[in-house]
Amino acid sequence: MTGEAFEYEIKKDVRNNPIVREVDEERHREMWRSVSVGAFLVIAFLFSAWQRVELLSHGYKVEQMQKDRAVEAELARHLRLEIATLRSPSRIERVATRQLQMVAPAVEDAVVIERVIPASPPPRSIVARR
Amino acid sequence: MADQPTNDWRTMLKRRLTVIAIVVFVWSCAIEGRLVVLQVFDRADLAARADRQQSSTFDVPAKRGDLVDRNGHLLAYSVDGDSVYAVPTELLDAGKDPVHVAATLCDALKDCTAEERKKLITRFSTRKPFAVVRKGANPDQVKRIADLQLEGIGFIKESRRFYPNRDLAAHILGYTGGDRGDGLAGVEATYDTLIKGKPGRISMQIDANRRAFGRIEQPPTAGDSLELTIDAELQHVVERELAVGVRENGAEGGSALVMDPWTGELLALANYPTFNPNVFSQFDEDARRNRAIQDLYEPGSTFKIVTASAALEQKVVKPDDQIDVTGGTIRFGSRVIHDTHNYGVLSFTDVIVKSSNVGAIKVGLRLGKERLGEYVRKFGFGRRTSPDFPGENNGIVWNPEKMNDSALASMSMGYQVGVTPLQMAAAASSIANGGDLLEPRIIRAVIRNGRRIPVPRKVVGRTVGKEIAAELTPIMEKVVTDGTGRAAQIGGYTVAGKTGTAAQLIKGRYSTSDYNASFVGFVPSRTPVFTIIVVIYAPHAKGHTGGVAAAPVFKRIAEVALRHHGVAPNINPEPPILVARHSQDAHETTVSASGGVPAVVKLPPAQSGTAAVYPDLVGLSARDALRTLGQLGVSTRMIGSGLVVNQQPPAGSPVDSAAAVTLQLQRRPAVRLASVTSE
Repeated sequence: MTGEAFEYEIKKDVRNNPIVREVDEERHREMWRSVSVGAFLVIAFLFSAWQRVELLSHGYKVEQMQKDRAVEAELARHLRLEIATLRSPSRIERVATRQLQMVAPAVEDAVVIERVIPASPPPRSIVARR
Repeated sequence: MADQPTNDWRTMLKRRLTVIAIVVFVWSCAIEGRLVVLQVFDRADLAARADRQQSSTFDVPAKRGDLVDRNGHLLAYSVDGDSVYAVPTELLDAGKDPVHVAATLCDALKDCTAEERKKLITRFSTRKPFAVVRKGANPDQVKRIADLQLEGIGFIKESRRFYPNRDLAAHILGYTGGDRGDGLAGVEATYDTLIKGKPGRISMQIDANRRAFGRIEQPPTAGDSLELTIDAELQHVVERELAVGVRENGAEGGSALVMDPWTGELLALANYPTFNPNVFSQFDEDARRNRAIQDLYEPGSTFKIVTASAALEQKVVKPDDQIDVTGGTIRFGSRVIHDTHNYGVLSFTDVIVKSSNVGAIKVGLRLGKERLGEYVRKFGFGRRTSPDFPGENNGIVWNPEKMNDSALASMSMGYQVGVTPLQMAAAASSIANGGDLLEPRIIRAVIRNGRRIPVPRKVVGRTVGKEIAAELTPIMEKVVTDGTGRAAQIGGYTVAGKTGTAAQLIKGRYSTSDYNASFVGFVPSRTPVFTIIVVIYAPHAKGHTGGVAAAPVFKRIAEVALRHHGVAPNINPEPPILVARHSQDAHETTVSASGGVPAVVKLPPAQSGTAAVYPDLVGLSARDALRTLGQLGVSTRMIGSGLVVNQQPPAGSPVDSAAAVTLQLQRRPAVRLASVTSE
């Protein structure tokens, strides 16, 4: 051999393949525990957020329905008022006399049918049912 | 020899990591410090700002309670109407001319007055955030203004009171007004606290787009509704007939009341002239005044029922006692009081029937001022009669201690005493019901939260005994059959009443041309259903007496009222239908009918020969129908099964025991269930 030194880096061929890292069960459990807790927290947070969004969404719907209900209730009041106006005795009389040419009945035209509620009728008589 | 590996990179890495850690630390401290400032020191202010942005709180006005008549017909009702407003600052900032805007709005409203137009111009010229254009605009006006799409003009909903029957019962109902729609007259004012309710409060949560998504609500307490004693249809008739009576007589005005003498309920109260409470400001005070409770008048001869009641109960006179009214005059110093005719000698009954002033004065003088004064008070004069009318006039009566004979004479015949038509009606009602002075009422019940709370009948005193009332009633009947009240006669009914004619007191002197004509009475006289009073103020056209001006109005009102309420005539009334029933011992043999096969049931003949009519069997089961017909002793033929839907001969026709009754039976039709599959 000469003085020149060959510098070889002799890589030691370290074959680690046969070496199998032992599974650390404890660490695994800890990891899965952490993942579970994390996942639970994420799900809980998502659920809470979903609830809030749903609450808001329903809140909008409820408010809209309240508005619609108020509008319908007011419409009902307007219609009730209109009915009362149409039923006004003076209006009915005007329509009856001017449009329909009706006349008020004379005293002799009206027959009062008196509703008789007898005490107990005699045994051999009966009050006809009306 | 190889160099030793250096650890410089580790040191550099450490240093860099330290710097990064310090930077991150400082950054975190800054953020946390800011959070502390925001959430601790500025918390209150920020929370308040958030609250202002995110929530909107406002009062919710309560709906005013309804006014209905005794049959539930609506008399007064509140609905939301649109009011038009303007934002003058917005108009001015947009460079709009106030005059032009006012003119445009007035064109759309179509009913602006010159004064209103001027007011609008003034409001639009002032830099203010809000100005009212028109309160309670009708839907057509709102639509026309909305179509203009004017900037700075908007609409707000406000509750508005409506009277759907226009002037019906206007004086009773009153009206509302002012910014808050408070009651200003009538029942609206008297019971304003009950009717208007209590406002609520809403706190709404709103988002950035001003959309609401939640609310905390304290709901308003709706006002109580009031059920009045009046009958709307009868009220209309009374108003109509009163108006006709006032116009026919060329009178200044009139009042009419219909009262239930057994409960004190006012079934109708009318005044003429009247007004429309929807637009009450367009009518003057004269039309809006409730004469029936506010105006005093001297009742004249109608007051003689008080004198007569007192005289009979105090046994000063009996109905057949003779009273000398020869000459037809009586003198008190320089004062001479006349009768319309020289009657000579009259029985006490005829003093009332013919309305002799001289006779009444002589009876009054026998009675004396103390006793007459006592009965005047007993009959309710000189004080308010009803808490439902706070504006009611007390009336004017003499203090008995200060009365002289001339005043006693005047009071005996219904002068020098101021009464209201309501007081007179209450007094007459006490005679009609046997002596109970009842408190007149206009409120029948209060309806609160869906619960009806009736107002009880109240007896405030006794005027006369039952027997005295019974003694006076035929005398008052005779006024109508033979006396001054003949125009009040109603075919088929007995009427008890009294006419009254009194000169109006004008500037301290009794007029010789203006009189108040009145008639008060109750009908049917023996079992009274109505007490009615009619007062016509200053009639001129036909005659000025109660018998000529007021009695015919009473008659027309009473006729319609009796028919409307189904009151049977009490003169020669039709007897009720009575038919004989056969013996109940009759046995029946029943044969059940299977569908489609007619069955004939033979029954033993009736033991009594008295006639009967077929009862109504529709709706009965076969067994019940057979039992009923068996009692009549008739044969039955049945077709079908189930319930009776038709019978021949029909119900009400006379029984013919020789013929069979045919009954058609049918089962109830099946109810069709909704199909869950589409067809």
